[in-house]
Amino acid sequence: MEKKLSELEPGEKAVIISIKPSPNYRHRHRHRWGFQKRLEDMGLTPGTRITVVRSAPFHGPIEIYVRGSRLAIGRGMAERILVRVEK
Amino acid sequence: MKKDKIIIALAGNANVGKSVIFNHLTGLHQHIGNWPGKTVEKAEGTLHFKGYMIDIIDLPGIYSLSTFSIEELISREYIAVENPDLVINVVDASVLERNLFFTLQLMELETPIVVALNQMDMAKKKGITIDHKKLEKILGVPVVPTVATNRTGIYDLIQTSVDAIEKGDRKPAKIRYGEEVETRIQKLSKMVSKLQLPYPARWVAIKLLEEDEQIKGRIRQPDPKILSAAKKLTKEIEKIHGHSCSTVITSERYEIAGCISREVQQIVPPTKPPTRERLHALTTHKILGYPIMATAILSVFFTIFSFGDYTSQLLSMLFKYFYSVYESLFGTEILATLIWGGIIEGLIAGITIALPYLIPFYLALYFLEDSGYLSRIAFLMDNLMHKIGLHGKAFIPVMLGYGCNVPACLGCRIMETERERLLATFVVTLVPCAATSVILLGLVGAYIGFQWALLLYIIDLLIIFVLGRIAFNILPGEPTGLIMEMHDYRTPHLKTIVKQTWFRLKEFIKMAFPLIILGSFIIKLVDVLGLLEPIANILSPVTVVWLGLPTITGITLIFGVLRKELTLLMLSTLFGTANFANVPGFGPREMIVFTLVAMLYIPCISTIAALVKEQGWKRALFITFFEIAFAIVVGGIAYRLLMLTGM
Ligand SMILES: Nc1nc2c(ncn2[C@@H]2O[C@H](COP(=O)(O)OP(=O)(O)OP(=O)(O)O)[C@@H](O)[C@H]2O)c(=O)[nH]1
Ligand SMILES: [Mg+2]
Repeated sequence: MEKKLSELEPGEKAVIISIKPSPNYRHRHRHRWGFQKRLEDMGLTPGTRITVVRSAPFHGPIEIYVRGSRLAIGRGMAERILVRVEK
Repeated sequence: MKKDKIIIALAGNANVGKSVIFNHLTGLHQHIGNWPGKTVEKAEGTLHFKGYMIDIIDLPGIYSLSTFSIEELISREYIAVENPDLVINVVDASVLERNLFFTLQLMELETPIVVALNQMDMAKKKGITIDHKKLEKILGVPVVPTVATNRTGIYDLIQTSVDAIEKGDRKPAKIRYGEEVETRIQKLSKMVSKLQLPYPARWVAIKLLEEDEQIKGRIRQPDPKILSAAKKLTKEIEKIHGHSCSTVITSERYEIAGCISREVQQIVPPTKPPTRERLHALTTHKILGYPIMATAILSVFFTIFSFGDYTSQLLSMLFKYFYSVYESLFGTEILATLIWGGIIEGLIAGITIALPYLIPFYLALYFLEDSGYLSRIAFLMDNLMHKIGLHGKAFIPVMLGYGCNVPACLGCRIMETERERLLATFVVTLVPCAATSVILLGLVGAYIGFQWALLLYIIDLLIIFVLGRIAFNILPGEPTGLIMEMHDYRTPHLKTIVKQTWFRLKEFIKMAFPLIILGSFIIKLVDVLGLLEPIANILSPVTVVWLGLPTITGITLIFGVLRKELTLLMLSTLFGTANFANVPGFGPREMIVFTLVAMLYIPCISTIAALVKEQGWKRALFITFFEIAFAIVVGGIAYRLLMLTGM
């Protein structure tokens, strides 16, 4: 099942499908690929398995476990990461 | 080849221990703490080893050699263009896969490397064992296991590095990508190799396929044909894989890093969740996290205050006794008073007012930094920081600002965009630094009550938030999102904390004490000459009429430009006592207004210098003048409000 990373519950595991560019990239062209690249450089490439550890309240960031380390990802960013939920 | 001067650079991911190693090797004092992004500028030091003079370079921590951030560009240009004799790639053994991703990129740059497999103790705690001999074989570069915090393996590391340089040219193993990518890299690198570039051809080819803007710019001039060829090959790869070419390459590189790490490491996770994991869960808990944070910060301030207040009183009693001895020895002649009031009193004020608060302050701050709690606070505060156009990481320089605004301004470089850096820098200059806390705790806290000092801290936070919000409206733009690695909690390393505190204090004593003494002396001299009143009178429309303060406070506020704690220390020189309890015309109301103004009115001169460096003259001056005006306005309003409440 395809979902946004931001929609996962703590404890759920998933595989990354793709990262969508920022919606208003026209204004910030330089960062359109910049942030996708940063996420990928931090190990969030398509096919990577991740586990959601927790999410902060009030629309706060999400903590995920990926490649043996812990990453905090802002909510807006997490909404652009498409994943497939694993059972 | 034998030369006696060599250059070795330390490179690697953020927070792996590069600066700890650098400090061991050079005896210098680079900032150390447990959060990513402390080193923002390259630092240099020297080591004499076996007849060599070795220049050691500490680079900012980075995750990749792309050009996403300024740090990455700095490090990459340094390694590729300046060509150090060797790069020591510091690797966090407890997060091997992510770290190897960077190692692979260094190998592609074809610089001679030695890998320092650091944090072996942390890896062991996490149940990870690594066969470093095997890793050495696979990578084709020497690998030295180390535990930087207790110097284990550091000698070995430098010995191995020197050996590697003496042996000369041992190129690291070549990384092979998947078939589709590999053939295209080779095709392109053949074309590139005809050009004269400071980078290796294969690396340029890979970067072209990754659509690296900076490398594309370098190729456009000499040979635009290569660019169009690269574009074509990129399209082909995209077609085959269905992802952008740079994604495919990053993906495959991580794949290789994953394979290698699985090959060399064995993981037997501990059966019961260790304390650091439970602590992490608790401090980032969605409900409990916030009260825990508030309690932690409050108790830190309260401890600092209690310790400071107690010690301060003890010391002043001691010095009072000392004064009676002095008086009986030298009498109260003009010279004797000038020396006492001008020199010794300044010193005493520095010792009794500033040090008792500063010492616990720095200890607490470095303790928090080294434990790893700062990145958890950043996680919790992300949401709130978005309201002022920033993200959670910006809270780290804010916290550092409580120690000193100067490193906090530099620390704003961990923000990703120009706009965010400016916003964060502005916010940071409003944070009361340790010197301001001396005034807050030593005046308001000690003579009115801790709760009043606390109230002022809270008011300051509110002001920061409101001004930040306004600045955000003036500088609109979607805040970028948070991406931050949260490193494991560590038992804070006591020696590091004490050492860093001691170093800070030494700096304080060296910088501040001469200023304090000189300042007190000048004030006493001006006083003896009868010029004090006329000078203070010039400022009296603001100080007396608008702020309701005693006339002479104008003079101390001028001194505060040099260092903030001088405002209070000079006040004690002027009043002739470090006990402010019964100075006529300086009651609770005046104390609060005075502290508010001192807290907000100007970044001290070192902070202004840091602002100029980071943001340029114009912005620095604007921020400075804005804050002066703002502080005066707020002070005046506070004065009138306090009058109304009858305080
Ligand atoms: N347990 C343990 N801790 C270590 C070791 N090496 C470094 N540390 C700790 O790791 C943290 C980061 O060390 P730094 O030297 O500041 O890291 P850095 O690589 O310079 O980090 P940046 O400048 O932010 O890129 C500090 O809290 C150190 O005390 C080690 O071998 N074992
Ligand atoms: Mg460092």
